Amino acid sequence: MEMFSLSFKEMRFFKVRYLLISFILFFIAALVFIINGLANGLSMDNASSFKTMDAEAFFISSDAELRLDRSNIEIGKTQIESSSAKIQPAAIQMASLKGDDNQKLDVTFLAINPGSYLEPIAIEGEALNGNNSMVVDSSLKNEGLKIGDVLEDERTGAIFKVSGFAEHQTYSHTPVVFISLDFWSGLTNGKVSFLALQEKDQLIQDKITKAADGIWAEKEKVISGIPGYEAEQNSLFMMLSFLIVIAVFVLAAFFYIMTIQKKGQMGILKAIGAKTGFLIKSTLAQVLMLTVISIGAAIGFTWLAGLLLPPNIPFVFDIVQIIKYAAILCMVSLFGSLISSINIIKADPIQAMGRVE
Amino acid sequence: MGNFPLVLNQINKSFNDGDKSIKILKDLSFSVKKGELAAVIGPSGSGKSTFLSIAGALLTPDDGNIFINGKDVSGLSDFQKADVRLHSIGYIFQTSNLVPYLKVEEQLGLVLKMANHNTEEKSDHVRILLISVGMEHRSSHYPHQLSGGEKQRVAIARAFANDPDIILADEPTASLDSNRSAAITGLISRIVKKKNKAGIIVTHDEGVLPFCDRIYAMQDGQLLEQTTKRGTNNESVQ
Repeated sequence: MEMFSLSFKEMRFFKVRYLLISFILFFIAALVFIINGLANGLSMDNASSFKTMDAEAFFISSDAELRLDRSNIEIGKTQIESSSAKIQPAAIQMASLKGDDNQKLDVTFLAINPGSYLEPIAIEGEALNGNNSMVVDSSLKNEGLKIGDVLEDERTGAIFKVSGFAEHQTYSHTPVVFISLDFWSGLTNGKVSFLALQEKDQLIQDKITKAADGIWAEKEKVISGIPGYEAEQNSLFMMLSFLIVIAVFVLAAFFYIMTIQKKGQMGILKAIGAKTGFLIKSTLAQVLMLTVISIGAAIGFTWLAGLLLPPNIPFVFDIVQIIKYAAILCMVSLFGSLISSINIIKADPIQAMGRVE
Repeated sequence: MGNFPLVLNQINKSFNDGDKSIKILKDLSFSVKKGELAAVIGPSGSGKSTFLSIAGALLTPDDGNIFINGKDVSGLSDFQKADVRLHSIGYIFQTSNLVPYLKVEEQLGLVLKMANHNTEEKSDHVRILLISVGMEHRSSHYPHQLSGGEKQRVAIARAFANDPDIILADEPTASLDSNRSAAITGLISRIVKKKNKAGIIVTHDEGVLPFCDRIYAMQDGQLLEQTTKRGTNNESVQ
């Protein structure tokens, strides 16, 4: 406890110096967290329908390069139904819908069996019925879409009617429109893009692999196969990594200079009987206090930023990931101060003799 | 040996200066009695500070033994020596060398806490110490708010905080004018006598000498006692 008290008194006295460091830490941490929030937001904006989907693995064509929209599975309906209720077929297709006023909407059709676990819960309106109804992403409300509106698919000429809205349903940054697979099959010769599996199950997976041509891919793989997804995430991740590297150097340099300044001080403390271990622990305790306070404030700031950002900037505050990055930053600053502990070890108590302040 | 908290026996110490080795201390033997204040004088570079560093368990001699309270400390590890310094030695430095971010009472508190003293007794003990150096009214001030003499008073109180048997003062009056210098040395002398400690003052300052019981001069790596009449000097103090 004494080491906390000593370092607290030091910070109390050198307020400006420690405030400066806290602010640097705070801003670096806040930037890391905000970029993380933006990356999550972008990822949600891109692929939310698959991120929120209650499925763990997907069966897709081996030549589709993990892209669901390029995949095509040849499998009989009876074979699917006989295997397990956890296996669900689906078709995916980019499409363009035309409204009464010739307004065009770029969407992604996701044709599924109504009532299956692939169907999202409609937060407004009704669930799918077998016919030409559709449940659409709630972002289409901003385009003026209402329940009961009728739209035409430009390619097939089929007419669809909005029956409900669901939240977080996007694919490749386009709103997803859920339609009935039976109805869609009638328009497209029964094409199935992929099979979804609710929970991984080796037995079922082997059975499907024998019955049809294709490979199993896990959800994360499929999501990173969505056009544009990897590119977006990687560029943000690169920024994050650079920020953390910058943090390592900035903090290490700061703590290094700080302990150099304190070297004489440490010599005196050693001369009057302080042990090196106590002085190192005291310095680490100080860095820990600074880090926890600054990072805590940065987490609060990020949360607030998430609330205040305009809705057209997608932002998702993911506390689990933020805590992960907070732990990394915490270790980075402790590492920085450990490097400078060499100065504490080297501080010579003899220098306190005849030293002029 | 019980009456001699500090005994140095046949100490040798040399330093390397370029390719030459300079012998600073040669077969130096020295001891101080309880209740006695010894002054060590000599020109700069004569080895006074080296002597004090060795006596204070800061520096290890090339050979010879240092007995602190009868215990040989010349072979101890750094960790053990820090413990000896904490419990048995009180330092008073040339400049007060107070910790800049601690209030006067905390300066003393830190030393006590490092020695694991009971917290309840502590605040009383700190207060009594500060009264004895006349600094009680400044107990919640920071060092930068104090004058040079006041800082040195706090440093004296800090040196006595752990009730060490040996007090080492390295030019304690170097940054003070002659009036303050006399007051500070008088204070050290008084507390050393009252608490029955063994004190050593290394100094340039002639004004310090009247307060000391013995005077040693550093000469050719050895300490030689000066034979001055002590009695007359003691009277002039009063």
